[in-house]
Amino acid sequence: MSEVNRRLAMLAAIWAVLILAPLWMPLVGGYTALGTRVMVLGLGAMSVNFLLGFTGVLSFGHAAWFGLGAYGCGLLLKFVALSTPLGLLAGTLLGGILGGLLGALIVRRRGVYFAMVTIAFGQVFYYIAFQWSSLTGGDDGLRPFYRQPLHLGVATVDILHDSTAFYYFVLASFALATALMGFILRSPFGRTMLAIRENERRARFLGIPVEMHIWIAFTLSCFFMAFAGSLYALLNNFADPRGLHYSQSGDFVMMAVLGGMRTFWGPLLGAVVFVMLQDYISSITINWQIFIGLFYVACVLFFPRGVLGILRRKATT
Amino acid sequence: MSLLRVESVSRLFGSLVAVDGVSLTVEPGELRAVIGPNGAGKTTFFNLISGFFPPTTGKIFLDDLDITQVPSHRRVEMGIARTFQITEIFPELTVRENLRIPAEVAHGLRLRPWLAHADDESVRARVAELLEMGGLADKADRLVGELPHGDQRSTEIMMALALKPRLLLLDEPTAGMGDRETYDITTLIRSLHRDQKLAIVLIEHDMRVVFHLADRIMVLAEGAVLAEGTPGEIAANERVQEAYLGKAA
Amino acid sequence: MTQLILFNVTNGLIVGAFYVLMAIGLSLILNLSNVINFAHGGFLVIGGYVAYTLEPYLGFWGALIASPFLTAIIGFAVERLLISRVYGRDPLYGLLLTFGLAFVFEDGTRIIWGAQGKPFTIPAFLSQSLSDKFFFITGYRLFMVAMVAVMIALLFLLLRFTRAGMRIRAGTLDLETVAVLGVNARALRSLNFAVGIFLAGLSGVLAGGQLGLEPTMGAGLLMPSFIAIIVGGVGSLVGTLVGGLLIGVASGVTAVMLPPASEAIMYVLMAVVLLVRPRGLFGEEGMLT
Repeated sequence: MSEVNRRLAMLAAIWAVLILAPLWMPLVGGYTALGTRVMVLGLGAMSVNFLLGFTGVLSFGHAAWFGLGAYGCGLLLKFVALSTPLGLLAGTLLGGILGGLLGALIVRRRGVYFAMVTIAFGQVFYYIAFQWSSLTGGDDGLRPFYRQPLHLGVATVDILHDSTAFYYFVLASFALATALMGFILRSPFGRTMLAIRENERRARFLGIPVEMHIWIAFTLSCFFMAFAGSLYALLNNFADPRGLHYSQSGDFVMMAVLGGMRTFWGPLLGAVVFVMLQDYISSITINWQIFIGLFYVACVLFFPRGVLGILRRKATT
Repeated sequence: MSLLRVESVSRLFGSLVAVDGVSLTVEPGELRAVIGPNGAGKTTFFNLISGFFPPTTGKIFLDDLDITQVPSHRRVEMGIARTFQITEIFPELTVRENLRIPAEVAHGLRLRPWLAHADDESVRARVAELLEMGGLADKADRLVGELPHGDQRSTEIMMALALKPRLLLLDEPTAGMGDRETYDITTLIRSLHRDQKLAIVLIEHDMRVVFHLADRIMVLAEGAVLAEGTPGEIAANERVQEAYLGKAA
Repeated sequence: MTQLILFNVTNGLIVGAFYVLMAIGLSLILNLSNVINFAHGGFLVIGGYVAYTLEPYLGFWGALIASPFLTAIIGFAVERLLISRVYGRDPLYGLLLTFGLAFVFEDGTRIIWGAQGKPFTIPAFLSQSLSDKFFFITGYRLFMVAMVAVMIALLFLLLRFTRAGMRIRAGTLDLETVAVLGVNARALRSLNFAVGIFLAGLSGVLAGGQLGLEPTMGAGLLMPSFIAIIVGGVGSLVGTLVGGLLIGVASGVTAVMLPPASEAIMYVLMAVVLLVRPRGLFGEEGMLT
């Protein structure tokens, strides 16, 4: 019973911190838009981890689906309709569907081979975004487009100029996505994902068609990723090719590992640390890349279980 | 109608003949043992029946249905479950979760992204029953990777049983076990056979277990069938004694 | 038109030769250590800049010979100190580690040698065209292709006929068994890594002579190398060789027909290969799947 209580307490704490963020963040020198950014990137890292930490499948090209979500959302707002919800929908569908199609091509590959193929295919979309400048704006990125006010029947919320209102909009979207993720992970299907992570051979000989289940998990993860990417486009009112590049994928994987990839909330924590660190270092030196690089190396060598992974281990021993 | 009919299957790895024209028929409720020295092709033979890889030549039938090319997960659905020589479990999950996954597969729930209350109840009941049967109830919430070898072995057998198979393939269930654990597993297998009328094919090195349990025994040597018969016939067979039992004794 | 196509095929072969040199090194490391070396491009850059630094003292030829060896020594040290620590762990960690190292190398180059490009001078007689009609075939380009061909031939001979080479090949198939047979798997992996990095360093020097030096030049060659390996089939060096030449020529030819697609064609090729032969052209069942 205490285990359940501890979980509930932790869940309550996480949501309290998130809900109250616009109040406490200025006190510690943060600003609301930074909080929004962390949450959106954290959702991306959680989506990567849905596949990596819970199915045991490493995609190192997931930024492609994130970026496609951003472009889908931006293109809709720029060329088709002035509607935030439709933008979210368009981005999520674009990234999710393309991810699902690609997934079908590669689910038989495993391990490093899978990682390599996902990197290479991820780059396809980077080049398309980069080259097709008449549509995407090429290297300069896609603009101008702006997130639109929300019409909630009784009231209209201006999420464009009111950054706190936008924060709560993102928080609500985040809550929706993570609830869905958590729900799936606790379902029979979610348990087959764990089974595949733990022991693919055993899973297969328990009657689980492994390729099919990996494909479904991959596709779901792409949809979540594209949803996060759409939110990212709304946050920046901008989408650019770097959001699809494999180095962005590397950042997401790093956030997941940093926070603890066997845990549900770890990647969010990883995003907090990673984004803050990147923000801080790039403000004090132009050679921030070398520090981020060294940080990667240090995490891998000294910190492979991530923050929550270590805490959890401490708690059980 | 036979439950399983294997017709003269062979499997080649490059130029190595691992299984050479082996046939076997298993009737419902029968307990068969496959014995033979190391490298005789016993595990390869299991891999062919369970669909780990297809035979190079020969055919396999379940209920007179040709399953030679049917993928392994479909064979599980059709009623064939197996364990492995080296324990294959989900080490970082609890015993309960290890059993819950196959129980849900058997309930046809594996693609469900939700779980209705009634299903949840029946899955839980089934898992509790399996925990009890395998003597694992008091360790249900421990990570299976942290349990002693014997408990891991039992967990694996219970996982196979959770699938409600009609044919159970056990690859050296008592390997690496002490006397007490061997006795427990043997008792369990016998009750599955006697009380639940489950058809079982068993690879085993421990001759006490084999002669105690099996209705019929097949002896493999160098991939081919050396002898086949009741325990009495096998014990009396001179070729077997020379080739196998003689050496072992 | 014929000349234009010939121009681009030649170009494609030269570019392909680069991809091959880079990809073979990556492939060697991947096959034996199961690590995708993201930092491979970084080593290429180091090779180029070290040659640039040495050239005033040793001349072109001296730098060409010394730089790959120095780069290989750096590679050896990096493998011993860092990369060897992730062997046997989830491939994820090797990826993240070398990914971080790639950042360190690229930015480190920028700090040491500056962000601006540097010229790397080649001997005058190599930079001339061989004939007026085929103006694009300079001595240097022929020299590069010859160097690559010789190095690859040498590598294959080493792998086939020396003891260490045979052990590397055996280790690629089954390192555990090789280790049980008394071979020092650790030393073998270090040696193998150094050989791979030697090739990266050499690519850096050769590329520097053709295009000049820039801190980002390695990152651009990384993706084509990945694709060469995937197209050729993971686990097969011959496959990597064929794959590299294939995508080089394909993008060279496409550069004439449909310039914007010259990069995309590599990806199309990869998709087609994965659809038709999921393990790549020379990939074998059961290898690294």
